[in-house]
Parts: sequence; structure tokens; C-alpha cells
Amino acid sequence: MKKLMAMMVAGVMTAAMVTGCGGGSGTPADAPAETVAPSEDGSAEDANAEATDTESGQEEAAVSGDSDLEYVKEKGTLVVGITDFEPMDYKDESGSWIGFDADMASAFAESLGVSVEFVEIDWDNKIMELDGKTIDCVWNGMTLTDEVMSAMECSNAYCNNAQIVIVSADKADQYQDVESLSDLTFAVEAGSAGEKEVTSLGLNFTPVKAQSDALMEVAAGTSDAAVIDSLMAAAMVGEGTGYENLTYTVGLNSEEYGVGFRKGSDLAAALNEFFAASYADGSMTETAEKYGVQAAVIAQ
Amino acid sequence: MELMLEQMPIVIRSLNVGFLQTLKLFAVTLLGAVPLGLVIAFGSMSRFRPLSYITKIIVWIIRGTPLMIQLLIIYYFPGLVLGKPIWGGGEAGRFLAASCSFIFNYACYFSEIYRGGIQSVPVGQEEAGLVLGMTRSQIFFKVTLLQMIKRIVPPMSNEIITLVKDTSLARIIALQEIIWAGQAFMKGSQGISGAIWPLFFTAVYYLIFSGILTVLLGRLEKKLDYFR
Amino acid sequence: MAILEVEHICKSFEKTEVLKDISFSLEEGQVLSIIGSSGSGKTTLLRCLNFLERPDSGIIRVCGETLFDSGNPASLQESEIRKKRLHFGLVFQSFNLFPQYTALGNVMLAKELLAREQPDYKARKKEIQEEIRVLAEELLKQMGLSDRMHNYPHQLSGGQCQRVAIARALALKPDILCFDEPTSALDPELTGEVLKVMKELAEQKTTMIIVTHEMAFARDVASHVIFMDDGYILEQGTPSQVFEHSHEERTKQFLSRFTNG
Repeated sequence: MKKLMAMMVAGVMTAAMVTGCGGGSGTPADAPAETVAPSEDGSAEDANAEATDTESGQEEAAVSGDSDLEYVKEKGTLVVGITDFEPMDYKDESGSWIGFDADMASAFAESLGVSVEFVEIDWDNKIMELDGKTIDCVWNGMTLTDEVMSAMECSNAYCNNAQIVIVSADKADQYQDVESLSDLTFAVEAGSAGEKEVTSLGLNFTPVKAQSDALMEVAAGTSDAAVIDSLMAAAMVGEGTGYENLTYTVGLNSEEYGVGFRKGSDLAAALNEFFAASYADGSMTETAEKYGVQAAVIAQ
Repeated sequence: MELMLEQMPIVIRSLNVGFLQTLKLFAVTLLGAVPLGLVIAFGSMSRFRPLSYITKIIVWIIRGTPLMIQLLIIYYFPGLVLGKPIWGGGEAGRFLAASCSFIFNYACYFSEIYRGGIQSVPVGQEEAGLVLGMTRSQIFFKVTLLQMIKRIVPPMSNEIITLVKDTSLARIIALQEIIWAGQAFMKGSQGISGAIWPLFFTAVYYLIFSGILTVLLGRLEKKLDYFR
Repeated sequence: MAILEVEHICKSFEKTEVLKDISFSLEEGQVLSIIGSSGSGKTTLLRCLNFLERPDSGIIRVCGETLFDSGNPASLQESEIRKKRLHFGLVFQSFNLFPQYTALGNVMLAKELLAREQPDYKARKKEIQEEIRVLAEELLKQMGLSDRMHNYPHQLSGGQCQRVAIARALALKPDILCFDEPTSALDPELTGEVLKVMKELAEQKTTMIIVTHEMAFARDVASHVIFMDDGYILEQGTPSQVFEHSHEERTKQFLSRFTNG
């Protein structure tokens, strides 16, 4: 009993560190990778065992990376971790998930011969969800940062994005270049690419839980400005949205979206192949056009 | 304002779905924790020392750590450390994991209230039952229980009202309760994005629901007013 | 034959000896008064007879049946004790009525629960319950509480509560009815109504053991008096033997406080 409790306490610490690393600014990028590694080994072995159990006739799976694809095929479902994020993943009127990412994920699952299941997750816990096997991939307009790439097995980049500055519309003309930003206070999503940008520029900022919270900070006047994804800003800020009084000014950097899998997973390679094929036959561009993001798609 | 009225039906529909989840978690927690708390209370009052020590240590751990951490452990621990994601990734699994955490957490709080309630019933009541030839279980159910219930109604009401609001913690494991539903419109959902008011509007749901509970619990208290 | 025989009862709490070699007997229909100063062991003796405390050694016999024998482990079993308790009734100093039941409910409860153990309970449920209710009403009437049957304990005066408690004890028809300082928690003007009821019971030849500080009452009603001091029975006999012709200096000293005060 005591031993179990001790294990649980240790588990909490690990879990807290994994989540904490996403949020804390200036945390070494390799920390999450280190803490995640042992459990990853465990789960990979486990999947291995399952694979050999059921396919007794086949030769042994040589590398641990083989098992994740087999694991997903065996259970017959690809569980995709998402958040409600127009135009990448969002619900249509009938309540089913659509969007550029969602449609591509469905097509990928189909190509593997498995069904797809979308699960809304807490973005802070994405690594824990992956490693805990409650989801199989994170496919939700995820910016490929160093942290993300060290904690997950990532696909090739498939979409361009930029981090842009949001201020209230009446002050927008004063803040049209990077130098003018220094006297503003910022709200940025903890662990986001935006947080990285303001940190490297040495700006004053408050980390908040989500990009949408950052926007609320600006709307409420508790922060002067926010930094969010340009794809998101296009959908959420300006005329006809809930934030009519906000607008975007400076673009801070450009970045790329990718899909994240468990560390060491062979699903990333499988997805790269799928991306290449669907870019070649034009189906990827076709899907992108459906959601107005064709200009951002990266050639595969 | 006009925009808000336009968005209202969509938001209300979505909040209702979230609130249903909140209600479900609330009801399941109460149904599980009320009897389990009694079992734990008896455990901690047991004359068999090891049992009472173990129970007290468990109660200490559960009450001494944040429910949010307990939710994270119960949901992620099996997959992360044991390699067996027993709950699965779907909504049902998350609900089940959340229910287990809440039931266990609240049962521990309830157990302490029960213990106080049982111990505050005078010893004379039990002795009177004994000399009248009643069995211990007859004494508990026919004599002690109702007196204990009368004494614990006020502190239990407090905990129950707290539970209503605590259910929102379950969104840490992505259980889509009402606050989650309200927040979704800030980021963008069902064609509404950047709307802040739905999040604040969830407070109305909580307020009405806890108001109803306060009235019901007040009635129960009044109903037990016939004896002292 | 004596209805109650108590032999060599000893009882200690931790290191304090509370009862030291207590022996006495009681005939059917007699009233025994136990007097003595606080802490002399009177209440503990009553609690031992009702098995609320377990004597360390000694023998208790009722109607020749051995209820308790420290030398015979079979008589010490918890399950056995419940039945044996029914030979005794006990009226507490602080009444200990069940607050959630009416006066009538208090008197009926134990009897009803006991009736459920009868083999024909299910078949005759209504009939049995009716019998119990009639009996309880009669007892309360006898206690002068016919207009208070449906009141809850908190609506009754202390004297009324104690009379309900007496009716409750009588409902189980015990062989011996014990009173533990039944009037000590009452206002002086309320003791009379309780003592009157007890006197009537004595006149009806109810076998009773009464621990009391009401010396006048003990002398009037008791057929036998025990004076306890520091865990011993220092003196026992008829009221006149103990009250008027006591041999022991302690007894005289104790009684003088009441006669002079």
C-alpha cells in the first residue's frame, strides 16, 4: 500500500513536470523528453508484446518504432487529440468534426484502414495524453517548436503560420513595427510559439492558459497586446467577430504546423508518406481550398 | 447586443449539453460518495487499529492533495506509468475517471463529517438501546442514524454546494462540462468566436442550480426540526 | 428462592478498583435501595448487572439461571449477552429517551424490534403491532401521561421524560427494574411525580433496585438497603437496621449529612 502510494506520488511529480514544462518560460527544452523517456519505453515494450501475442506467426518486431503503427491498426481506431480551433478542427452543424486538419486526419486513418476518433483535449496535457495512450496523435494546427519536437515524434511541416501582434483597433497605428512594442504589456498562451517570440524580444508578458484568454486580456484592457497565430487571428479578430475592437499589426515570425505522435512512433513516417502522396495527387490542396488555407499549405 | 441575441440559441444549446455533463458528474458523485463516506467513517472509527490507521492515512492523503492532481493521476497514471490506458481516450472513459476521482475525494470529506456526527450523538443513546435488548445495527439504524443525519445536514449542505462548483475541475482531463462549453466560444466554436459572455453566462446556471439545492437542503433541515 | 444472586463481583477501571467483592441477593417483589456517596461504586454495580460493564470476576444469577460467570467463558459471549440483558430494565439518570420518537414511540420501539424475531411475525404483523401499542398506551396511562403520548421528548418536562423512560423499561417486562439516580437530574419540584410512580410500582410488587440520594424515599419504600463505600458493601439490612441502628461509623457519618442537612 505504502509502496503504491509512493509510486503514485512519483507519478504525480512526473506528470506535473511534463505539464509544467509546457507552461514555464525558459524551461530547458530537453527536460520533458527526459522525463517522458522511461514511460515511453514501457509503453513501447507493452505494445510490442501485444503485437507478437496476436500475430504469433510473424517475425518479431525488430525496433520499438514498429509497434505504434501496429498498435493503432490492431485496435482499429486512430484517436486524434484536438481542440476546437477553426479552421483546422471544428464542429459542423450536425456536431461532427471538420476542418483542414480533421479532414486530413480522417483521410489518413482511412489510408491505414482504421476508423478515426476525435477527442477534445486540454492543450496543456497533450504530451501526457499521448504518452498515456489516451490519444494517438496531436493534429490541431500545432506549431513545431523545439519543445514540441523534442517531446513528440513530429511529421513534416504541412502548413505555414505566423505569430502576430493583436492590439485594440484605436491604437493600432502607433504599433506598426517591432521597436514600438517595448512599452506594451503582453498576454500570450503559456508554452506557445508566441510566448517564445515575446521572450526573445525581451518584452513584458503574462502567460495565460489559451490564445483565446490572451485575446480576452486585451479586450478587457488587462493587457495591452497579445500574440497569437495568424490563422486564428483571421477567424477571430475584427469585423463580424466577438472582438470587433481588436486588430492585428506586426508579424513577429513565421512558423510551421506539424502533427505530433508518441516519441519514436513510426506513425510519423507513415504520415509523411501519406502527405507526399496526397500532395502529389492534389487532394491535399483540394481539402485546403475547402477551408481557405490553400495559400499556407507547404509543398510535400 | 444584437450579436449576442443572435448567438444566444447556439450558446444556450451548447451550455445545456455541458451542464448536463456537470449535472451527471454531480449526481454520480453524490450517489457514490454518500454511502462510501459511511464505509470510510466506520473504517476510521474501527477498533481494529491497523484498519483505522490505514483509513486515516488515506483520508489524509486525499484531503491533503488538490482534487485537480488526483484527477490527473487517476486519468493519466495507468497509461503513463503502467502502459495500460484503462480509461481509453473517449468521453465515456474521461467521465468514468472523473467520477472515480470525485467519488473518492468527496467520500473522504463526507467520512469526516459523518464521524463527527456519529460521535456527537450521546453515548447514552447507545446504552439505552443496549439495555432494551437492541442489536448494534438496530441501534445504528433506528436510533443513531437519524440523530446523526440531523447534525450533519448543515455541514453536508456546504460540501454539496461546493461539489456543484468543483465539478468544473474535471475539465483538466478534458471532460466537457459547462465551463468548457462556455470557454469554447472564446476560441471559436460553431461559427461563434471571440465571444466572452458565454463563459460568464455559465455562472447563471451554477447560481440557479445551487439555489435549488439550497432550498431543498433547507427543507430537509426544517423537516428534521421536529426533534432536538 | 432469590430472584437475583450476586456473588463476589469485582471490577477495576485501569488501576482503580471500583467494585470489591460485592455479594448480595434479592427476593422477588422486594425493593433494594443502594445508598452511598458519589464514587462509591453504586452506578458501576448497576451497569454491571445490565452488562454495560463486564465484571472482572464473580457470578450473576437470575431465577437460578447463571447469566454471568467469569470462570465460564461461554457465558461471556456478546451474542448471548443481548438476551440476558432483557432480565433487567434500566432507568438512567439522564433519561436517554430517543429524541426522534414520540413518548409512545419510545415505549414501543424495542418491543417492536424484538417482536420481529418471532416466527409468526410476518403473518400476524398488524395484530402484534396493535398489541404492543395497547400495552404501551396502558403503561403511559399508568404513568399519568395519557395526554402526552404523542409529544416528543423535547416537548416534555424532565419529570415527564423520566416517567416515559420508566414506561419504556417496563414495556419489556423485565424481572428486575433498575434505577440509576432517577431524580438527580430533575428540578426539586419535579422529583415528587417520579417518586410517586416508583412508589406505586413498589406497591404492585415490582422487583426493583434503586440507586438514590433520596434517603427518605429509600427508607419508606425499600425492603432492603445496601450502604456502599469505596467499592465495598459496608452495611446491609432492613431500612431500620441501616438507618436507625447502623454499626459502622462511616454509615452514621454519611446519614447524618442528610438528616441534619
